[in-house]
Amino acid sequence: MRDIFFDLSVRSVKLNFLRSLLASIGIVIGVVAISSMGMLGTNMQLQVKDQLSTGANTLVITSDAVRIGLPGSNPTASSSSSGITKTQLLKIKQSAGTGNTVIPLYRTSTEFTLGSVNGRSSVYGIAPNDVTSFLTIDNGTNLEGVNDALVGSTIATNFNLKLGSRIHIGKANETESRPTVRIVGILKARGMTSDNVNADNAIIVSRDWYTAEYGGEDQYNQVNVIVKNIDTLSEVKTTIDAKVNTDPKTPVIRIQDASSRLSSITSTLSTMTTFILAIGGISLLVAATSIFNVMMMSVNERIQEIGILLSIGTERGEVRRMFLYEALILGILGGGVGGLCSLVIGYSVVSAMIGTTAYFFLPESIFYIPAGMIIGMCVCVVSGLYPAWRASNMDPIDALRSE
Amino acid sequence: MALGKTEEKVGGPGMNKTPLIRLTDVSKVYHLESGDFTALNHISLDINEGEFVALMGPSGSGKSTMMNQLGILDVPTTGELYIAGKNVAHMTNLERTHMRRDMIGYVFQKFYLIPLLSAFENVEYPLILKYKKRDTTGKADAVLKSVGFDKEMSAHRPTQLSGGEQQRVAIARALVNEPKILLCDEPTGNLDRKTGFQIMDLLVGLHGEGKTVILVTHDPKIAEYAKRTVTLEDGRIVES
Repeated sequence: MRDIFFDLSVRSVKLNFLRSLLASIGIVIGVVAISSMGMLGTNMQLQVKDQLSTGANTLVITSDAVRIGLPGSNPTASSSSSGITKTQLLKIKQSAGTGNTVIPLYRTSTEFTLGSVNGRSSVYGIAPNDVTSFLTIDNGTNLEGVNDALVGSTIATNFNLKLGSRIHIGKANETESRPTVRIVGILKARGMTSDNVNADNAIIVSRDWYTAEYGGEDQYNQVNVIVKNIDTLSEVKTTIDAKVNTDPKTPVIRIQDASSRLSSITSTLSTMTTFILAIGGISLLVAATSIFNVMMMSVNERIQEIGILLSIGTERGEVRRMFLYEALILGILGGGVGGLCSLVIGYSVVSAMIGTTAYFFLPESIFYIPAGMIIGMCVCVVSGLYPAWRASNMDPIDALRSE
Repeated sequence: MALGKTEEKVGGPGMNKTPLIRLTDVSKVYHLESGDFTALNHISLDINEGEFVALMGPSGSGKSTMMNQLGILDVPTTGELYIAGKNVAHMTNLERTHMRRDMIGYVFQKFYLIPLLSAFENVEYPLILKYKKRDTTGKADAVLKSVGFDKEMSAHRPTQLSGGEQQRVAIARALVNEPKILLCDEPTGNLDRKTGFQIMDLLVGLHGEGKTVILVTHDPKIAEYAKRTVTLEDGRIVES
């Protein structure tokens, strides 16, 4: 059985349908704003998390910040460091234990030329047998000859690189002859990863080629330790730290695991999501004003009706309920339409901004649609509280006299 | 549930009858910006069950204020009003609402039907208020039939009915919860003479069935239908 007060509210909304519809559009906009923004932020977080989970079992070891010693001391006499030394690498290998893979790598940034087109990318010097430990060759073969190179998917796409293409490394205006590498393989796209190797936009060469061109042999920029069992990640990290950083006051290496990087990035994204949700919330506040206005109009237009209801024995609570139902109906209308629009608009926004909708229908993303709808409905009901209270507290005699 | 303080029996030796309505020294004062205005001035009146009383008097004599007191839409500033032995001043707002719903039927000059509801739903409404469910007993239909409404007319909205028809619906709405008291505030005031008399015949019939009918009018012809006339002037009873 339907509540008579609900029936009265439905009829009142129908009677003033256009006005109710316009007020509900505010809620629609608010719900769409909240849901879409929430889904956008969540999809960004999910994508980043997913990408960072590649290499989540990797410890990234770099030389600690260069220390210049105490004021007045000779910098060269201090423990300044320009990379991870052979001795440190040996200690890392010893403490990493068996089963875990230690990959020392060199890294720099350089310009290059392909035909007449100039570009810039990272260059990694990695031992050929280490390459396949964490990178996948999508097309071609691994490094074999000393001038062989692998290129990341982004570079390959942007420069339309083919297997066998030759790249001149170094600045184009240099007069001396520049070293050349030959592409033997194109790597599979990795996206954002937590092992600090941005291979998509890099040229991978052998360590021998790298040290021959840039020097710094046995002064590695980075050592990655791929831990076989991720549960032992923290334990391996502690062991390496204890073995290499013998003096805690002057650590020589810095060890980062994926979790700290992941939490830092997701925390930033979470703050961004909250911020854009707050912007969406402002539109709901505007909608709340509109609903409040419509509800006050409804109360003012129905003063005599309220007087009739009260004079023939309607409880004040029942009058209050009738107006709250009306606000709820506007909320259901706005929330429902807003939910449907959020699905379409949210999908389009996520697709346009992130480039993938792979995470869109995951519970943590789609959750924002019902959440936005419920928030929209709650905003309506809250906006109707004062008008409903005012209606229920009218003096029936004054209300009946009203024309 | 005890509603307010219960009135003692009235009358002298040998009398044991409690009036259905008793006003004892009732005054109603409105505090206006221009000063206090006394709408009812020390009114004392008993109305017994089954009486048909006409309240008469010129405009501003206090008839409407008196009806508001009898309909418990308002409470006296001083004095006491008892209905069915209960002092309304001692009742809570909710208790007064329930008494209004269960014991009093109100018929207004301007009909005051709920515009969003059909004639049937207007009559059914007090039943829903009382029993918290839709009428499945056919009572609303029966009451509408008693005032000359068939099923087809019952489906009409108030705006689709004539003045006389609307007043019949209003009377049906007032009667559907079988109230002891029927308050009629100028029930023929917005009707043509012929329809007015038809409505009065209906009220006379209801009085014949035992209802206590209190009628406000300034039309002596209409007042003639009542068995007793109370005349007000400047908030005082000048004739009873």
